[in-house]
Amino acid sequence: MVRFVIRRLLQMVVTFAGATFLVYALMFANQNDPIQALAGERPVSDAVREVLTERYHLDEPFLVQYGYYMRDLLTGDFGTTLNGRPIGEIMADAWPNTVKLALLALFFAVLFGVAAGLVAGLRRGSVFDTSTLALTLVVVGLPIIVLAPIAQLIFGVKLGWFPTTAGARPSLYGLILPALVLGAASTATMMRLTRASVAENVRADHVRTARAKGLSSRRVVGVHVLRTSLIPVVTLIGVDLGTLMAGAIVTEGVFNIPGVGSKLLLGIQTEDGPLVVGFVSVLVVVFLVSNLLVDLVYALLDPRIRL
Amino acid sequence: MSDLGTAAAEVAPAATEAAPAGGRSRSLAADAWYDLRRNWIFWVASALVVLVVLMAAAPALFTSADPTACDTRRQFAGPAGGAFFGYDFQGCDVFARTVHGARASVLVGVLAVLLTGVIGLAFGMLAGYFGGWLDALLSRIVDVVLGIPLLLAAIVLSKRLAADSQGSGIASVVIVLGLLGWTTAARVMRSSVLAARSQDYVAAARMLGAGPWRIMWRHILPNALAPFVVVLTITLGTFIATEATLSFLNVGLRAPAISWGIDIATAGKHVREAALPLVAPSLFLTLTVLAFIMLGDAIRDAFDPKLR
Amino acid sequence: MQVRRLIAWTAVPLVATLGLAGCSGDDDAKVDPSGVVSIQIAEPQHLLPSNTNDSSGIQVLSALFAPLVSFDKDAKPVPDAASSITSDDHKVWTIKLKDGYTFHNGEKVTSDDYINAWNYAAYYPNAQNNSYFFSRIDGYAATQSSDPDGPEGPEKAPLPRSKTMSGLKKIDDLTFQVTLSEPFTEFATMLGYSAFYPLPDAAFSAPGVINKDYESAPIGNGPFQMNGKWEHDARVEVQRYEPYPGTKPKVGGVEFRIYLQPSAAYADVLSDNLDVIPQIPTESISTAPDDLGERFERSSASQFQFLAFPTHESEFANPEVRRAISMAIDRDEIVRSIFKGSQQSARSFVSPVVAGYRENTCGAACEFSPQQAKQMYEQAGGPKKIQISYNSDGPHKDWVDATCNQLNANLGVECTATPEAKLADLLTKVQNKVPVGVFRLGWIMDYPSMESYLGPLYTTSGSSNYYGYSNADFDSLVKQGAAAPTQEESIKFYQQAEDILARDMPVIPLRFSQNNFGYSTRVRHVVVDLYSRIDLTQIEVLS
Repeated sequence: MVRFVIRRLLQMVVTFAGATFLVYALMFANQNDPIQALAGERPVSDAVREVLTERYHLDEPFLVQYGYYMRDLLTGDFGTTLNGRPIGEIMADAWPNTVKLALLALFFAVLFGVAAGLVAGLRRGSVFDTSTLALTLVVVGLPIIVLAPIAQLIFGVKLGWFPTTAGARPSLYGLILPALVLGAASTATMMRLTRASVAENVRADHVRTARAKGLSSRRVVGVHVLRTSLIPVVTLIGVDLGTLMAGAIVTEGVFNIPGVGSKLLLGIQTEDGPLVVGFVSVLVVVFLVSNLLVDLVYALLDPRIRL
Repeated sequence: MSDLGTAAAEVAPAATEAAPAGGRSRSLAADAWYDLRRNWIFWVASALVVLVVLMAAAPALFTSADPTACDTRRQFAGPAGGAFFGYDFQGCDVFARTVHGARASVLVGVLAVLLTGVIGLAFGMLAGYFGGWLDALLSRIVDVVLGIPLLLAAIVLSKRLAADSQGSGIASVVIVLGLLGWTTAARVMRSSVLAARSQDYVAAARMLGAGPWRIMWRHILPNALAPFVVVLTITLGTFIATEATLSFLNVGLRAPAISWGIDIATAGKHVREAALPLVAPSLFLTLTVLAFIMLGDAIRDAFDPKLR
Repeated sequence: MQVRRLIAWTAVPLVATLGLAGCSGDDDAKVDPSGVVSIQIAEPQHLLPSNTNDSSGIQVLSALFAPLVSFDKDAKPVPDAASSITSDDHKVWTIKLKDGYTFHNGEKVTSDDYINAWNYAAYYPNAQNNSYFFSRIDGYAATQSSDPDGPEGPEKAPLPRSKTMSGLKKIDDLTFQVTLSEPFTEFATMLGYSAFYPLPDAAFSAPGVINKDYESAPIGNGPFQMNGKWEHDARVEVQRYEPYPGTKPKVGGVEFRIYLQPSAAYADVLSDNLDVIPQIPTESISTAPDDLGERFERSSASQFQFLAFPTHESEFANPEVRRAISMAIDRDEIVRSIFKGSQQSARSFVSPVVAGYRENTCGAACEFSPQQAKQMYEQAGGPKKIQISYNSDGPHKDWVDATCNQLNANLGVECTATPEAKLADLLTKVQNKVPVGVFRLGWIMDYPSMESYLGPLYTTSGSSNYYGYSNADFDSLVKQGAAAPTQEESIKFYQQAEDILARDMPVIPLRFSQNNFGYSTRVRHVVVDLYSRIDLTQIEVLS
């Protein structure tokens, strides 16, 4: 086990380097005129252009720029945006909000998704099963760009159950509605996946054995069925955490939570390579760590898997 | 097919070949078809899928209205004549747009899912079965791909592939979704394969001299398919919905393309003024996803050896 | 200035206010003089006056600083922090400051504070965004430099000859003189812009070097001072500065709350979580009267939206083709259906808010006559396919699509609306003579004068003349207008210049913007001025 972890940690370093290089290259390929992109529709004076080009090495070839960036990165300097704001500061502001939002969204997704999927899987064809299917379809048919504003309107403005926006220093209560909305698609997938797994495993041999041994239904389901059914779900959790963090752009905009998603969007729109790569590098670490944990959990859950 | 098969069937209950009462041996596929034929869900789902595909291929069969004949003076007008869902923000016939939008949406969904499925299957199977350094390499590649923000890839790819500004951008959206969306399916496949490969029947097959490819294809795949197919069917729906989000952020399909995604994104903004322009494409999207999910469920049930 | 820069002007306490009409009768409502009002902004790019040209930054600065001039209801400049601005020849201007103004750290406001700030802004190596506002001042050229091989090349620009402009001269602590390189009648009008704010000595850590922490809590001479620091992506809070000698605000403080999207701010106003949203997003305009009732108001603003024809695209070279296209567009219908009345159709080339505006200078070419348009178009040999290019990072898709649909129906052409990711990309294509068809542009005035709409957009050397329009008569009329002895005479020249535009149709005027703003039940007397600024001295918090 320890060797496994150490090997993985070493691989993570290589992956990290590869991912950041790839994203940096993508940003560079996307770059047309970052100075003008920052200014938007206003014309940029020659003075401004010259100073910024000099300061940020924008006229240097790709590898040179990458070299400067990595050199700074290794000393903990994430660079500054074209506006002059230190990216490290921007990250320190954005990450806590996103982490809270994503973890809460994941929590709801697992809570509702697994619970509903379990029941639906055990009672296939029942009213509960069909209604959860219907709910899944509603969530899939209404992408988040529609779901978020409608949820905000109904539950925030009209009913007043939740605050309409969460803001820059959100309270836990203020994050509930955005987390539910953000996690909706994950909930649907987790529910379907759990349902399928449970339905399959309920007829599996180890469950038949357990029942034959005379174990109570609760124990059979709770320990034997659930344990093996959770494997694909755990996979999903590992992947979803990072995806929720990076993909919360729309939710952040609707509920006014300045986080990773909106900063990524800003960085992409203003062609700010260091900003995007700064966030992506942390995101990659999140993915790597969560996948490592997922693999460790596999071994715990399924005795058939030997690491 | 009967020599190795029958012996294996005796050794392990989860055999891939059953000896039917009639005496004639059948392959798994034939068995599956036999089950499918008698499952009403399969027929309903197939009918829906055929309907949607027909709509995508020949929209003229469903509506004679021109989806591009838009006049703002008819903005949000109610249903009239052949316009069953009324008119949208620009004054276009919502039903006509939805029917014509099937093509782009279905193409995007199906092609992207195919791409995802192929890559995910290959990665998951190879990583899960061979393990070791190959697993490590492939899993790390998964991690790298996961780290790339969808939006960034969408912008870069749509610029690069948009050399011809008349194109509607389907290729770039399919490639973006396919190249970035396979990771979940791959990981799910890998975890199923991990669980399946330590099974007795695999050991038995190996002892009987089956090579890795045969084992993967005939023994592991059918047993590992279930969660993979479920993920793919949901992914189809989320791809079409993701296309909506990409269009909303202006990096999806481009005019003059018509898609459910584009319509959902636009209608969502004006839902407080008129709900029908949102209802139509959402409904069609939902029904299409439902059809694929049901189809996926039925096929998975039919192919699952454990359900015999 | 171009639209994305939204609002070039400082918020200014209007001397004779627009919109006070609704406010006089309800004095029996209890007002809380120490209340804090919350106003929506986007994250400002800068808060240093010489570098700030985005609307959010300018709104915040308008609370912290007092301008030399403000504007009356006819958009004429009226001295504010200045006591007088005079000139005999429109070339040498004497600016006298009012006594009693102090910066928030206690320093007295003197001429040096203005001169140092302006020199800093102009000096080329400081790379300040608002440097070009000082280009009319004598000696500006000596503070400039240029990179011999362009920004991409390895050589750097040499240091300019001078760090200061020779045209700025201190007379005494409350008087200074500004000499322009050429006479400009409306110079006083320019001084209302936020680029011309003074800076305290505390802003400089060394002569000519701005203290790097200054922007996070700017010290100004205005009615409000900073309360804490600029909390990025969250808020900027200011509180009333008691020693301010000018018009005192009626609220105790302002929270400029930063929103990622205006739709989130609108939702907050509906639930009384936010007090003022200065620009309601277009998709909510149609429900705003129901949602907010009387708390939804409109006022005039200065944005101008138009379609431009690049002169190098020969298919549009015939002015009859351009006029035909203009006549095939039903502006009123687009204003009604897409903008829900939140903007006005434009039938002139300058905004209704400036002195000298005449209604319908465009004439028949801006009237909707589809049959005539089609005939004219065919006779003039207009192209069968038209492309309208626009930038998709703004709210333009809807109206461009609608316009294209109208051209399809009325001219029988095949019109494609082509989105470009950013305006910068679009403009680069135009400058590189890549065919983009017709493209959209927006404009906001830098100062309330006809010149601001005519000069930068249509003179041959105009800074925003991307389409390449050039007419020598036009150029000379604008120049004569700038040098005319009185504003009335300037206007006459400018109006003749505008008539040339109506004949040549280098662009198709489409719409003038309006402020569509909303507010919560907690506040009243919300006035949004010509520059989309909330008047912070009129707004009141109800208790």
